Amino acid sequence: MKLFTFKTKITLLAVFVFLVNNTTVQAQKVVKDTVLIITDSIKPNGEKNYRAGWGILIPEYAKLQYAGSMGFLSLGGGWDYGKRKQWETDLFIGFLPHYSTSKNKITFTLKQNYIPWKLDIGSKFMIEPLTTGLYLNTIWGRDFWVKELEKYPNSYYAFSSKIRINVFVGQRITYKFKEDREIFKSATFFYEVSTNDLYLLSAVNNSYLKPKDYLVLSLGLKVQLF
Amino acid sequence: MIRKLLLSFALLFLFAGCDMFDYHPYDGQITGDKGVNAKNIARIEAACAGKTSIKFVSMGDTQRWYDETEEFVKALNKRNDIDFVIHDGDFTDFGATEEFMWMRDIMNGLNVPYVGLLGNHDCLANGEDIFRTIFGPENFSFKAGNVNFICLNTNALEFDYSRPVPDFEFIQNEIDKQQPEQNKTVVAMHARPYSEQFDNNVARVFQNIIKGFPDLQFCINGHDHHLQANDLFNDGIMYYGSASIDKKSYLVYTITPDNQYTYEVVYF
Repeated sequence: MKLFTFKTKITLLAVFVFLVNNTTVQAQKVVKDTVLIITDSIKPNGEKNYRAGWGILIPEYAKLQYAGSMGFLSLGGGWDYGKRKQWETDLFIGFLPHYSTSKNKITFTLKQNYIPWKLDIGSKFMIEPLTTGLYLNTIWGRDFWVKELEKYPNSYYAFSSKIRINVFVGQRITYKFKEDREIFKSATFFYEVSTNDLYLLSAVNNSYLKPKDYLVLSLGLKVQLF
Repeated sequence: MIRKLLLSFALLFLFAGCDMFDYHPYDGQITGDKGVNAKNIARIEAACAGKTSIKFVSMGDTQRWYDETEEFVKALNKRNDIDFVIHDGDFTDFGATEEFMWMRDIMNGLNVPYVGLLGNHDCLANGEDIFRTIFGPENFSFKAGNVNFICLNTNALEFDYSRPVPDFEFIQNEIDKQQPEQNKTVVAMHARPYSEQFDNNVARVFQNIIKGFPDLQFCINGHDHHLQANDLFNDGIMYYGSASIDKKSYLVYTITPDNQYTYEVVYF
């Protein structure tokens, strides 16, 4: 499981942010100097123009998630996009009390959600019958490594104790606040059933482990900010 | 309709959910039995007190082989001639908290008491903390009849000199505790000398020191996943290795008063 090192990830993120920011700035210059038609071709979804520049980095919603193999409680935010806002990308920071181990731990999660359907129930409620996706979780601490340490013979353990890949399916129900609000537009309750690479590897070739052993439940709240 | 839906969610969580809320594979959240070794040692010492002939089983490396370990437990429960079982370490593959509990629950199905050694896989991530809570200290000893069992952590590669492995201080204290009555000794470890886990710079030192135990019978180990019987140092002290549990075998040792021992490989 060779993944980018932490430094490479940070650099990539910085480059990405720089490029996005730069393009938007150029777009604004074009608006000032020439005609509006060009602006339209650069920014087709005109309604988002107010979130120019660094503004696009402001999360559109906040999420709070309980359990789900990413911490006791995780707090995060993210961005929705796509024609029907069927995609959501979240970043979480999770807190994990030490329990029987020596230290409290912090985790980070990058989560990609796909929400194919939205069903309105009356004017106030909306149900999303399926949410699904993947999340990568990393755990902070000296006990965990991405790549096994040099001291080990080649492929001695052949897995990373630091990075987990999780898959999930879930459902959501949303309550919409008054239409004309500028912030806190809606609140969503969700639950998810997930598993991760370690639990899946443990479950295959065994009849002893049952779904309740290798499947994980989590609950969450999402508040739509903008 | 919404009320019904919410109610059914709530019921789902109440009945199926409670222990399915997992915080992290390495969360260290332990439910169920703790301090297993100490409890079982009390049972072994009580049941074997005064005995001069004992019969025990050595097995191990059960990581991720849940079905096979369960088969072993069933097979052993059909016998009634065994005093206790030594699990030679590697309860887990990834050192994950759940793995320890799954394996503990299977092993707890044994009719006879068992003790567990710390394997190198059990040290991964914070596995060592979990091992200590569920089973107990990584170096320990107990007495079954007139035989002392010295159980040692020999996974030096996992500890980077941060802790002495093997712990000669512990070993010497155990030797000093022995009364020179007609006692015998068996030394148990996960990784044996000259395996890549062992601190091989002190392999001979280790051998010389453990020979200070009264009437050392033999040493047992796991780790290499296949059956072994070697006189590692050409000094008459045999090292017997148990195979990993997927090979569906275990070793039975009988130590008898006529200063002899026998061992046999049993397939299940």
